[in-house]
Amino acid sequence: MSAELKELEGILNVTLPEKLIEDIEKVEEGHFNVLTTAKNAYELMKILREDAGIYHLSTVSGIEKEKEFNVCYHLQHRIEEEFREVPINLFVTNVDKGNPKTPSMVDFFVSADYYEREIYDFFGVYFENHPFLQRLILPEKWPDDVRPLRKEYGWEQIKEITMDIAKKTLEED
Amino acid sequence: MKKVLVMGGEALKNLAKGPVTKHVLKRIADHPPPEDIRTIPRIIEARCIMCGTCVTVCPTHCLGMEKDDKDNGMIWLQRAQCMWCGHCQTYCPKDAIHIDREPALSNSLFSFNNRQDYEMICASGSYKEEKADKKLEDLIEEGGKKLKYLEEFRG
Amino acid sequence: MTGEFRSRFRTLVDGSDAPPDADHHIFIGPQHPWCEEPAHFIIHVKGERVVEADIRIGFNLRGIEKAMENKTWRQNTMLIPRACGICSAVHQNIYVRVVDRLAGVEDQISERARLIRMFSCEAERIHSHILWYGILAHDAGFDTMLHVSWRDREIIMDIVEDFSGNRVNPALMLPGGVKRDIPKEKADRAKPMLDELEKKVLYHKKVFTEEASIRNRLEDVGILTKEDAKKTTPNGPTGRGSGLPFDVRKAFPYELYDKIDWNLVYYNEGDILATTLVRLDETLESIQMCKQILDNLESTQGELLVRVKPRIPEGNYMSRAEAPRGEDLHFGVANGTDTPERYKIRAPSLGNIDATLKRMDGEYIADMPVILRSYDPCFSCTNRVMIINEKTGEKIIIDQDEFARKAIKAKKYNRSFF
Repeated sequence: MSAELKELEGILNVTLPEKLIEDIEKVEEGHFNVLTTAKNAYELMKILREDAGIYHLSTVSGIEKEKEFNVCYHLQHRIEEEFREVPINLFVTNVDKGNPKTPSMVDFFVSADYYEREIYDFFGVYFENHPFLQRLILPEKWPDDVRPLRKEYGWEQIKEITMDIAKKTLEED
Repeated sequence: MKKVLVMGGEALKNLAKGPVTKHVLKRIADHPPPEDIRTIPRIIEARCIMCGTCVTVCPTHCLGMEKDDKDNGMIWLQRAQCMWCGHCQTYCPKDAIHIDREPALSNSLFSFNNRQDYEMICASGSYKEEKADKKLEDLIEEGGKKLKYLEEFRG
Repeated sequence: MTGEFRSRFRTLVDGSDAPPDADHHIFIGPQHPWCEEPAHFIIHVKGERVVEADIRIGFNLRGIEKAMENKTWRQNTMLIPRACGICSAVHQNIYVRVVDRLAGVEDQISERARLIRMFSCEAERIHSHILWYGILAHDAGFDTMLHVSWRDREIIMDIVEDFSGNRVNPALMLPGGVKRDIPKEKADRAKPMLDELEKKVLYHKKVFTEEASIRNRLEDVGILTKEDAKKTTPNGPTGRGSGLPFDVRKAFPYELYDKIDWNLVYYNEGDILATTLVRLDETLESIQMCKQILDNLESTQGELLVRVKPRIPEGNYMSRAEAPRGEDLHFGVANGTDTPERYKIRAPSLGNIDATLKRMDGEYIADMPVILRSYDPCFSCTNRVMIINEKTGEKIIIDQDEFARKAIKAKKYNRSFF
């Protein structure tokens, strides 16, 4: 881990406190996976955004594991002189499955707003301190407790719910 | 003024040239669609060994496998669902599938007139000769769900 | 939320959450002649000037990510191009690169296969850009350009059809390589066509830069400064028109983009004309690249397809590519079986919405069609339909399978649809 940490620190030109980071993997040349926990994520992102100057957030993705949720921030460190980007995937691990909560990064990235709302829609992960955590993509009549990308809902089940909503809408008309 | 008339030449050219659509109609008659155009799959029955590879790789589940009363295997195609991707052709281990290139076919598929719901594209009994020790259900089970047979076959 | 950017997508449909100084609220979409894509724009205006704009999306969720979890990696190769109608090859390109990497065959793929993949992506960029500036001219009220550019677009469509067997969905790629070869006869047939197309695109560029009636509609309209662009994180031509010189092909080279000669196009003006010129120059650049690829194909030999096992070992990989509309990101998680554990697709349009809404602030309402078009919006298509019986007023909702079944029965027995 320490060799990869040194390399990443060299690219970003900042010091990353080791206690905030769980693990660093080097995926390929100039492409890193950084693992952190929900507790330390905000602090680490603050260093990446304000000290290292990363301003591009490509997207946020949610992953359902056996015992926990992971939320991954796909960041691009941009070096304008060389027209080059260094992709950094910041994995927020240990998001509890029973009460999924993780800090929101809207303070740092404007675009995190709707990427996080998409995760909230599909996985039911709550982003703390998000100014407007509301439904983004799912239809208005979608049941609140159904989070379609969770493994507990199968393909057929989702299809049934969709048809039910369509039929209900028709009856109301 | 000069700058406004950048496209003036285009307008004059079109006046002299006449309608473009005439040219297009002529083109359709003179030039049939390219040889390699993709439409729906066809099976060369003599080569088919009923391994079920095409059924497992089909993204829209438009290919299916069944057994008739004489224990012969058959493959049917649901023409309405086929999206002409040619995946079955690529993965067929015996090169038994070729993609139909009949241009009239693509016309007929867009209307419901000539569309048959299910079409038998292979009714070969040859699986019995080559894989007589395996029952068709087992082949489908292994090919369709576990992909074990597929692995063995493709080495 | 930082300063002037308040949370987007929050304005209610009745406009009750609107900014206080707006006196009218204009609702555009999901079906509207200004914007054919399924998005609902809410534009708050004071007089003729836009105070703030907002958007609601999600009218057409097709659930491709969920569908992918229920299909095998092999089947998904043909599902993934359906994520987008126009940029199908680039979605497939990222997907096959994710699978190549996860299956560990990344290094075995031959140069020839990579060149064919690149050709498919670049041909797609050419026809997508030509389509886009045709529609832009239509939105700006210059329909002649629409017809001229779409007529010339047929040249590249013919090439794609000849090479792949389909006009807009080439589907040439597979994990481990490509499906079809580009033989020498076909390449020789395509080269003079590309020369002809280059002349036509140079003429299109002349029209956009010199013809006053279109230039005045685009110049100094919807300016997005570099500072705003950095805050709203646009990608692709939208960002490159505002002086952010980032193109994934240069920024993080994939396939063989680092071995081929091409120039990065970017402009600093930030108006709609700049994004148009970015796309026009990129079209010329792509035509030049296509010619290079066809030349290189003659001297490159190699296996077209490497075998990839249906089971993909555990792991995750994030991969990006430069789609015609911008940076396209896929993130795949494999769990050792033949189906994906999770597959995330981020198409470029979602990343460009914020920047486009920022462009609208303070502009005239009459410029909205051009600004809405500027980021090349591309949402999705629908799966279920509502059918209304004209005579009785009866309504039914059915999905695609049922629709096909009913239609066939109706035709067969010559009776009514219901």
